[in-house]
Amino acid sequence: MYRMPALFCLVVIPLTASAAAETLDVQISDVRATTGNVMIAIVAGADGFADKTQPIASLILPARGDTVAFTTNALPAGEYAIRVMHDVNGNGELDANFVGVPTEPYGFSNDASGSFGPPKWEAARFSIGADGAVQRITLNH
Amino acid sequence: MNRRNFIRSTAAAGIVTGSGLHVQANGAPSWKAAFRAALDNKPWLLGFLGTDAQQFTTANARIEGRLPDALRGTLYRNGPARHEIGDYRYHHWFDGDGMVQAYRFTDAGVSHHGRMIGTSKYVAESLAGRPLYPGFGSIPDNTLPVTGPDSVNVANISMLHHGGKLLALWEAGSPHEIDPDTLDTRSIHSYSPQMRGVPFSAHPRVEPDGTLWNFGYVSGASLIVLWHIDPQGNLVKAGKVPVNPISMPHDFVVTDRHIVILNPPLYYETEATTDFLSAHVWHPERATQVLVIDKNDFDNRFTCELPAQWVFHFGNAWEDKAGVIRFDGARADSPMVMLTSFRDVMRGLEVRDDAPARHHNYRIDTRTRTAREEALLPVGLASEFPGIDARVSTKRHHRVVVLTSRQGSKAPHPMLDAVTLLDIDGGGQDTYRYPDTQIPEEHLFVPAPGSAPESDGFIVGTFLDWRTQRTGINVFDATNVASGPIGTATLDYVVPLGLHGKFVSA
Repeated sequence: MYRMPALFCLVVIPLTASAAAETLDVQISDVRATTGNVMIAIVAGADGFADKTQPIASLILPARGDTVAFTTNALPAGEYAIRVMHDVNGNGELDANFVGVPTEPYGFSNDASGSFGPPKWEAARFSIGADGAVQRITLNH
Repeated sequence: MNRRNFIRSTAAAGIVTGSGLHVQANGAPSWKAAFRAALDNKPWLLGFLGTDAQQFTTANARIEGRLPDALRGTLYRNGPARHEIGDYRYHHWFDGDGMVQAYRFTDAGVSHHGRMIGTSKYVAESLAGRPLYPGFGSIPDNTLPVTGPDSVNVANISMLHHGGKLLALWEAGSPHEIDPDTLDTRSIHSYSPQMRGVPFSAHPRVEPDGTLWNFGYVSGASLIVLWHIDPQGNLVKAGKVPVNPISMPHDFVVTDRHIVILNPPLYYETEATTDFLSAHVWHPERATQVLVIDKNDFDNRFTCELPAQWVFHFGNAWEDKAGVIRFDGARADSPMVMLTSFRDVMRGLEVRDDAPARHHNYRIDTRTRTAREEALLPVGLASEFPGIDARVSTKRHHRVVVLTSRQGSKAPHPMLDAVTLLDIDGGGQDTYRYPDTQIPEEHLFVPAPGSAPESDGFIVGTFLDWRTQRTGINVFDATNVASGPIGTATLDYVVPLGLHGKFVSA
């Protein structure tokens, strides 16, 4: 398992985060290739999940083993979802075929899945409450 | 225990246990139990039982009559074959995992080899001992997420021999490359990295020079993809045509200048919390959209209309100098056979088809952008599985081989019961009616070596005899079908009823 201090990787951290933060513990498994990076976006709300607004936080972790994981206490209590992709070839994008089907691994919080497209916010959302939150995400290949 | 006895004993075991053991939570018998119970009263259901076998082999099939010296090569066929995994039986005929069959005609006689296609779905579910993914018309419990079409690709519809490769085709994902000698599944075949997993229909059209055209529907994206592939198997170009609402077209036609796709009003509408087929709604009051696309410029296209109809399969198309496209196909008033009959058969219910297909001729005038249709066969004479002499593909043609059945003299099974060579200009028919206990499958026209197009040749097709529990293959003289097969090769086991094949001459 590759574990790193996630706070150093957060590129967007809400300024209010430190006040009432709880711990989010995330583990992403079935990372098969050891090239490229696992790119993670933590979003709040359906608009964030649909990529209409910026993620609350994003992380880039090198793919160096079957599993990557991080914990953060930078997020206040609330509802979130996580999008993960494994950028195997390191081009910074989730590659897709001629009709838009991803050709690199990806995953969502709650291991949510959609039919003919990404899952809905309702399926992927989870709460960070007083006890924090744990997310175990398996990549789809 | 040989294969035949195995089938008999498993069928009998199912009947014994069917009444009590295999019961669903709501008290209804499982589809597996219901099917086995029905097999006793409807012995023709044997063709839909399916198999657990990975391979069948026969070195020397039993020969009756005379197999012509001029017929040398291999008939490769495909079709759904494994219908059950563990206690689960699929709820649609089209869900079964594909199996490729090779009937080889050599100087030594006829051999047979059948082998399951090693799709990732087949391999993973075989290891798990249960279904892991949703199907075309089935949703087993506790399925895994579908990450792309190829995770549910069962490669079970047809075969293609092109560009030096033998390919097993599905219609919603990639082809699978098959070793022509061992029938081993080599891998998924991608025409380019960008085209991996892009739908490639089971009915590509190949011009006499080897140029290949195909399409594929992408329901979630409301797109039809077009493929242009050169005779060596290299991708020339691919295109996307937005089609909304979108149906699930199964076949299409191509002329020297145009691609024609019928988009019938069986629309993909509902969120797929149900199976893929059930996410489609039939709208008989709406028109069938006819897409006419310039082969050289996919953006140059128009749409015209025909009445609501369902055409699984077309014969061929050609275009005259004035710009009128002619084509022919097996036209049904509705897709009932797919929506209902091929579900019902999987649990042994009475199979009804109130809207049987029968062959029609079509014309599209590209100047006035209008389409019209004309029945070639009368009401009561059903037909399907049209095939042509491949040497006239996309050119003017005069004949198609079809399976038929005539109301009033129908065999005691619900499938088509005769093979007919049909003159599409005048409607003339040369027909052989199979014995009551035999179910014919698709029959193909195989030209005699050195013959002129659509003249001398053979009609080659497989059949299941449910009484003797044997699959066989018949060869007819194409100039005299009515006199019956000139030669027959018979296996001593049952090959599950399949769909489409190609004859690859030696």
